[in-house]
Amino acid sequence: MTATSAEIDRLLDRLEQVVGQPNVRADAGALVTYATDATPLQRGRPDLVVLPANTEEVAAVLTLANDARVPVIPRGSGTNLSGGAVPLHGGIVLVLTRMNRLLEISESDLVAVCEPGVRTIELGEAAAAKGLLYPPDPGSQSTATIGGNVAECAGGLRALKYGVTRDYVLGVQAVLATGEVIHSGGRLVKDVAGYDLRRLLCGSEGTLAVMTELTLRLLPAPESSGTGMAYFSALGDAARAVSRVLASGVLPVTLEFLDRVCISAVEDFARIGLDTGAGALLIFGQDGDPHAVERDLGRIAQACEAEGATEVRIAGSPAEAATVLEARRAVLPSLSRLEPLTILEDATVPRSRIAEMVEHIQVLADRYGLKIGTFGHAGDGNLHPTAVLDPADEDAVRRAHRVFGEIFAKAIELEGSITGEHGVGIVKLPHLERQLGAAHVALLRRIKAAFDPNGILNPGKLGS
Amino acid sequence: MSGVFTPELLDRCISCGFCLPACPTYGLTGVEASSPRGRINLMRALETGVLPEDDPTVLEESSFCLGCRACEPVCPAGVRYGALLEEWRDHMWRRRRRPWRLKALLWAVDRPSRVRALGLPRRHAHATRRARGGPHLMLGCFERALYPEVSRSASRLAPELSVPSVQGCCGALHAHNGELERGNALARELGEALPGSIVTTAGGCAAHLAGVLGRERVRELSQWLADRGDAEPPGVSRSPRQRIGLQDSCHLRNGLGVYVEPRELLARVGDYVELPSAAVCCGAAGTYSILRPDDSARVLNRHLDEIADADLDVLAVLNPGCYRQLEQGVRRRRLRTRVMHLAEVLVGTTGAAPGP
Repeated sequence: MTATSAEIDRLLDRLEQVVGQPNVRADAGALVTYATDATPLQRGRPDLVVLPANTEEVAAVLTLANDARVPVIPRGSGTNLSGGAVPLHGGIVLVLTRMNRLLEISESDLVAVCEPGVRTIELGEAAAAKGLLYPPDPGSQSTATIGGNVAECAGGLRALKYGVTRDYVLGVQAVLATGEVIHSGGRLVKDVAGYDLRRLLCGSEGTLAVMTELTLRLLPAPESSGTGMAYFSALGDAARAVSRVLASGVLPVTLEFLDRVCISAVEDFARIGLDTGAGALLIFGQDGDPHAVERDLGRIAQACEAEGATEVRIAGSPAEAATVLEARRAVLPSLSRLEPLTILEDATVPRSRIAEMVEHIQVLADRYGLKIGTFGHAGDGNLHPTAVLDPADEDAVRRAHRVFGEIFAKAIELEGSITGEHGVGIVKLPHLERQLGAAHVALLRRIKAAFDPNGILNPGKLGS
Repeated sequence: MSGVFTPELLDRCISCGFCLPACPTYGLTGVEASSPRGRINLMRALETGVLPEDDPTVLEESSFCLGCRACEPVCPAGVRYGALLEEWRDHMWRRRRRPWRLKALLWAVDRPSRVRALGLPRRHAHATRRARGGPHLMLGCFERALYPEVSRSASRLAPELSVPSVQGCCGALHAHNGELERGNALARELGEALPGSIVTTAGGCAAHLAGVLGRERVRELSQWLADRGDAEPPGVSRSPRQRIGLQDSCHLRNGLGVYVEPRELLARVGDYVELPSAAVCCGAAGTYSILRPDDSARVLNRHLDEIADADLDVLAVLNPGCYRQLEQGVRRRRLRTRVMHLAEVLVGTTGAAPGP
């Protein structure tokens, strides 16, 4: 599906009438800047960029695009890591960041209502100001938008205890590819009227509908929280400590690990005094009643020591804890200090199989002669092996792709997933059938066709 | 159009987007091309020939960028955006494309004699015998003409600094406005005129000089005073305590990481109030307020709102550009707040703020 330039020009005029002339960009410069998201090596070429202000404008844009059979690629802040916002087949990049009103934080219903362009951190801070908690906190939370988080079902550092974005989406207002506006769910905890479309839209990667308003579940904020760190001489020890912690009856809010490569990279950026000689670092955290927090942090520390931790320390202040967690969020971009090209994946395995998986990744890295830093959410089995490469070394890039093929295969073998939280996007689409099976993938295509009969929404991705 | 940029600088960005919330111009437009990540994509397109050098968006964005470098401290990948912008402007603003106002400004400070002439009618710090090896007080170019009181105050605070009479411009204006080579040459010339340590009252000059001469030779005044261990700056009236806010100097904060020292010094002489946007560019941005007055005013507005809300007695600044920008803004809004350089606040020369 590629539109001719005459069709695009006609569309341009009509789109300008809908959203106003300054909110349609067709200049080559602007198009270049919307050709990519945060995914390495993935680039498209949009024909137009449109920034709507409200649901009505989104509906009008989709109706025009559907009539003209022009692709529409919804986008928030473009922090996607699987190519989800890359306009693979051209068309309109529909940027939703102007729709950034936080409409309501309700203490009595424990919900937040907002437009998709609100940044995750803004929602988190607004909830916190009222003594409430919005738990999903992906690494990109300071930039990423709620709309993008829901579309990709973002995870984060607190997923082990609190779950992922999916667990907080109560209601969705969305525009179908054909322009109709639907609502699914709302402010209710219990609501079984109809299929659970809000959950289907969560993680649909912009292929089914464009979400224009979200109702999200909030929790009372925990009374206190604490964070600690444990160093290990080998990654395998850290992975076994994770299993021991989880088997000890403690459910930590955070259980993150970094290998040696990642520790050095993040220390180079954050300069917070990490021990760069260690083989692995485990960052753990708990929240809740102050006594329970202290008790659980003690138990986690014990479990780490039992698996040979070389040093365990508990953060002395919330500021120190925040510094450590901020540094953890910066691991991925920090890795690019080593080499300009960082290819990362987010293969996920049952938490009991983490040690097996990380050791296998190290074996593969050695076998293929690649530098792979591994970090991730150890507590929920969500790993981020990241190959660090010179983009000019084409052979290394090829080897990296082969390694990730093997990592996906191993994840599936261990009853895991090819993607825990970054999405299928472009990058993992070829591997999807291996995990889901042919019948399942065929069903995804039929669902996609029911929502988007002309296939205009984010073509070349899920359901295509 | 390859060869515009240093490849290692351009390769660094991995497009993670962590810079977007820090960028004032992205905050104004919400459009990717006005963000650091978007501009780096434009630079790459220029470098690879995907976009021609007269592409209107490339031209516009290279000029719309404030050059405040707020994207650098938040960049985990360590992209040196300021250096990329200098290379970009060097290319974009060559010869005829350079705005005429800019040509006039750069001409005025291109020779030490012209810089000296700028300061002649004004009573900046008295020249003293040049102490060999420093430390020297740098008089600046426009600062000595616009705000001669600043160097006089600095001289009173730090009488150990020698003030050589023959000293030119540091070259920051050139470097940030498309004459990188000339800007670096001027910095080296100044380094020869002021051998040894150089203390400056202008954050922007400090960052540029440190970049060319090395950090160990350059100190911004608040750093110098903090290093000296100033617990009790002389001549300060201690009561009544004034409500004092601060506008960071972008390059001092984002380029050199200096922002704690001025706050500590101010907290010793008054009730220090941290404005929400203290660390955000005020829109002066070197020549920006002259070249793009409308955008500059849009960037300034939130600062003026905050100054009014905080009902400050004094707003301290660390750079002559910010001084002029905020002084004019405060006057236009008829706020009672007095804009002063840190050195003037510390010396307390002007006493309490005047009434409304």
